[in-house]
Amino acid sequence: MNLMKTFKNGLLNENPVFVQLLGMCPTLAVTTSATDGMAMGLATTTVLLASNLVISLFRKVIPDKIRIPSFIVIIATFVTLIGMFMHAYAMSLYKSLGLFIPLIVVNCLILGRAESFASKNKPVGSIVDGLGMGFGFTIALTVLGIVREILGAGSIFGIQLLGESFKPAIIMILPPGAFLALGLLIGLLNYVNKLRKNKADNQEANKSVA
Amino acid sequence: MREIIKLGLILLLITSISAVVLGLTNDITKGEIAEAEALVSEEARMAVLPDASKFEEEDTDEITQIVKDNENILEVYRGLSDNEEVVGYAIKTASPGYGGNVEVITGLSIDGKITGMNVVSHQETPGLGANATTSDFQSQFKEKPADNEIVVTKSTPQNDSEIQSLTGATITSDAVVKGVNMARELYNNNLK
Repeated sequence: MNLMKTFKNGLLNENPVFVQLLGMCPTLAVTTSATDGMAMGLATTTVLLASNLVISLFRKVIPDKIRIPSFIVIIATFVTLIGMFMHAYAMSLYKSLGLFIPLIVVNCLILGRAESFASKNKPVGSIVDGLGMGFGFTIALTVLGIVREILGAGSIFGIQLLGESFKPAIIMILPPGAFLALGLLIGLLNYVNKLRKNKADNQEANKSVA
Repeated sequence: MREIIKLGLILLLITSISAVVLGLTNDITKGEIAEAEALVSEEARMAVLPDASKFEEEDTDEITQIVKDNENILEVYRGLSDNEEVVGYAIKTASPGYGGNVEVITGLSIDGKITGMNVVSHQETPGLGANATTSDFQSQFKEKPADNEIVVTKSTPQNDSEIQSLTGATITSDAVVKGVNMARELYNNNLK
């Protein structure tokens, strides 16, 4: 198993948000600001890392028939732990993410990785997969948060960016803005990928001609 | 049959381990969480009644009864100066906003003025109702006389009991003002 490839897979080629469209609920709901998007991404990454590791370690002990309930119990345990620690040591973050912390349990990204990767691979590979997917998720949520915060509030990470004359488009931080921003970002990304692919194909064609 | 029991036992084992881990963590973080919550409340009280150097729960029978009976009045604290004199009150109230209860702490000085207002908990729309936590909005309440009912207006306030509402968030503005008025009335009727 090529670890670098596993990592890059989650970050780019199979980015959970932009390519696989997994975990849409937190993606759309908490990205009203860059800070919230990033915090949600990092919290999810921590849970994903821990659950991937534990599930990979016990993959031979957990019987196939009860793997789904076992995975959910493991994931829910880690989510609750993170929730308690955040409540104790990062109060303001806990308050602003609110309801979405417990909802990490039902983020299909985490169960998806447990089912399709961690339950079939060794612990080291599973950690790398968790890191790749987690960071891919975090980057996607942060970018979405940045775009929506700039357009919808004229600020970035809470710092006022644009002057008084800028009238923020409030729709961008309301639910419709989440769909608009995500759709446009995915479109842009697909366009760039297509250009890159075309360029690579052309080079290939040129080579074979020469 | 035997397989079902075996699977059930394995699942029981997994959930038991998880319960033990969670129980231990709860034990570790319980104190920290209570401390952090208390600190947040204390800071909010300080912010609305800056003259006080410490706070004590107002625990006369009358007030305790009011807090118990009225689900919209959450906490009543008296603020004390360095030499133990009462300088005012910090009252926490809740009133329904657009996305749930909006909790505000209102500071009232003994000379009958609102010394500050702080939105401590809300689930309002980011960018609209959530702007109730900005200092631009909150500072409007400072120095308002406690005698008169505070009213919301959409235009520039004309007299000293008017508050300009948040753009596009009338319901939130109303909820905050309602909370402040509850605190004001409690102060006028029971604490003055």
